[in-house]
Amino acid sequence: MTTFGRRRFFGLSGAALAGALGVAGCTRTSQQEAATAAGGGVIRWWDHFQPLKPLNERIFAEYGKANPGVRVEHEVYNPNEMGQALQLAFKSNQIADVHSIAGLGSSEASLVVGGWFSPLAGQDAIRAKLPADSLLEGLHVFDGKLYSFPIFSARQYTTLNWFNRELVEKAGGDPDNGPATWDEFRSLAARITKDGGGRAYGWIQGLQFHERLQSHVIELATSAGAPLAMAQGDNTMGLVDPRTGEYAYAGEPFVQALEFLLSLVRDKVVFPASTSLDARTARARWATGVAGMFFDGSWSIGVVNGQFKQFIDKVGVGPIPSPDGKPVLYGAPASGQLFVSSQSKHVETASDLLARFTGPEFSKGLATFMDQVPLDLEAVAMAEVHPSYKRAAELFGQTVRLAPSPIARNPAVAQVMSEMKAPRPTLGEITQGILSGELTDIRKALREYNGKLTAERERATRVVSGKGVKVSLDDWKFPNWQPGKDYTAEMYQ
Amino acid sequence: MSSVTRKGSGRGVASRIWSERWAYLFLLPTLLLFGAYTVWPIISSLYYSMLDWNGLGSERQFIGLANYREAFGDPLFWKSLGITLTIIGVTVPLRVGLSLLVALVLNNPRLPLAKLFRTALFVPAVTTTAIIGIVMGFIFDPSGGPVNQVLLDLGIVDQPIDFLGDPGTSLWTVMGVHMWKWFGITLVYWLAALQTIPTTVYEAARTDGAGSWAALRHVTVPMLKPFLIIIVLLTAIETMQIFDLVLTMTNGGPFFSTLATEVYIYQQAFANSTPRLGYGAALGVLFGLVTLVFAAIQAIGIRYANRARSSS
Repeated sequence: MTTFGRRRFFGLSGAALAGALGVAGCTRTSQQEAATAAGGGVIRWWDHFQPLKPLNERIFAEYGKANPGVRVEHEVYNPNEMGQALQLAFKSNQIADVHSIAGLGSSEASLVVGGWFSPLAGQDAIRAKLPADSLLEGLHVFDGKLYSFPIFSARQYTTLNWFNRELVEKAGGDPDNGPATWDEFRSLAARITKDGGGRAYGWIQGLQFHERLQSHVIELATSAGAPLAMAQGDNTMGLVDPRTGEYAYAGEPFVQALEFLLSLVRDKVVFPASTSLDARTARARWATGVAGMFFDGSWSIGVVNGQFKQFIDKVGVGPIPSPDGKPVLYGAPASGQLFVSSQSKHVETASDLLARFTGPEFSKGLATFMDQVPLDLEAVAMAEVHPSYKRAAELFGQTVRLAPSPIARNPAVAQVMSEMKAPRPTLGEITQGILSGELTDIRKALREYNGKLTAERERATRVVSGKGVKVSLDDWKFPNWQPGKDYTAEMYQ
Repeated sequence: MSSVTRKGSGRGVASRIWSERWAYLFLLPTLLLFGAYTVWPIISSLYYSMLDWNGLGSERQFIGLANYREAFGDPLFWKSLGITLTIIGVTVPLRVGLSLLVALVLNNPRLPLAKLFRTALFVPAVTTTAIIGIVMGFIFDPSGGPVNQVLLDLGIVDQPIDFLGDPGTSLWTVMGVHMWKWFGITLVYWLAALQTIPTTVYEAARTDGAGSWAALRHVTVPMLKPFLIIIVLLTAIETMQIFDLVLTMTNGGPFFSTLATEVYIYQQAFANSTPRLGYGAALGVLFGLVTLVFAAIQAIGIRYANRARSSS
């Protein structure tokens, strides 16, 4: 019988480990070499689009089939962790060939200046497959070179009125379109609540999730006539009145939007637990039939389809309710989602692969996931999706106009926004305060918020321009903007 | 001469370390872990607190004490501190007092099922706080939650109460759950303290004609006094760490009504639309100083308690 001494055991274990690592290393290297020798290589791809993983991987497989030797190593990150991973990988020269920029907290312009990206190869072919109004200098194009392109449409909003057709019909509402005006919404909500007898309420919303609540308030105010220019990013610091460049939160449309929401609370038509729900849990409760109406984005039906299939036949969707039933909303120009790294040794292959994320076929494929609507809204009509998703895309096309973007006008505005510290309470928190009765003077709360934002933007502009960057408050003004019309690329000139 | 002494003492230290090398070797893991997970985070927090940094980007600007100046003028920080101190001020006396009463009952050796009661009261303390927070959301749900159902069925209320969604009730609800969750820990402290009282003292009291009430008043309570200080301070410091319960039950809302300091620090450092790790670190350092004050009082209290015990 063989016995092992301590030294012999450690020696053998070490040798085995080294051997295993060596074999693993050789395997990986030989695979990469084989791929490169076949005229392709390994494209490393990092993004944060978990719901789109099957679509992306189908495209990678198709590309690999058409280009033997090219293989894509795909990794989907949690958006919260991605920024850190990208920073570390970029510094250590190990970043993926293609990646999204979630969590980096920097604008596309500053990342281009920082040398993060490579311009796309085969630019003309990619441009030809994109709608002309989707690309902007300062967002996707820098010094005339294309770096990225949007895959989702700018024409969308998060306050679609999703409703339970059964409850709406029972209460005498229109089961195909839902209510159009705020008054209709209010009275329908009251009737659903009355019919429900304590088991169903008119409206449910995740009121604990103040960031989403804020988006609803902004969109309701816009539907009431608030004019908005929009810098990219999901916060209030980038939204101004394009005619003056000033923040518009103290204006009448915002007061009216908050009064409308407050009227629902006072009418007692809000599902009682809404104050403790976020968007996800509110959607889950809505799908159990405890409430008639629910504000949500186009992805709502995708989630219902995936998680609450038994409810899907009861789902209807209508436009955001507005004071006069004729809402006009604005969408910030959509940013690019994916970039080819400056450290990539496969810029041409990566760009070629990226080009597959354009065009009607891709948009149609994207639509089947019923998440955010694709860049080409018309492709949704051809896709095999739930009718309510088609209706949502149709409503977006009819209602949403392209807003001017201060960042597209001057990319240095992004630096001002990075320098700005969001004042608290935020608009979403103010809304919570008003709905819970903690804040009673709506106008005063909004005036104070507007004042804090204005002061903070002035301070941040001083700091950034003090560093020699050419930026001013005039960058936020768009005198040629016309209400209800698209602000097109030529209008920036 | 002095150099010779220094040299000699240097050799002495080296040889002492060498002769105690096994002790130092065994201490090494603890020192390394303590250094890595306690000392280093404290030092790095102090450094981060002087940066204007979102915690992710490479841009980090040294701004000295500006974050601290901002914190002193930040009404939400003071509000959050007020809420934390309110939670301590309300729950600590109640928890300590009620658990003492229950401990006195459970300490009676003739009480049937005493072990079962002890276990039942201790179970919430070993349950994951985040899970309790989520479950409590359902229990206090105004739409069909069991608490509201009972209140409605008994006719105590005619409309459900939005325990967690109404700023007037949310803090009280969180405090109630916190007390229930950690009640067992304070109870165990008291039970342990009660075990330290020798039975001979009770026998002597009974021989002198003392009844149960007199024994409680003249034996138990005076002998528990030194423990009171320690238990109060331990409970107070524990109560400052209410982060997970608040985050899962209310996320600091509605409208800041349950915004405990730890939650506010977390929001500033990580959860805001524009995270500010530097500012969050400064708030953390300031809150650490408040905790330190409690810890200092605790140290003084322990010294006093030891003195009181040895004199009794």
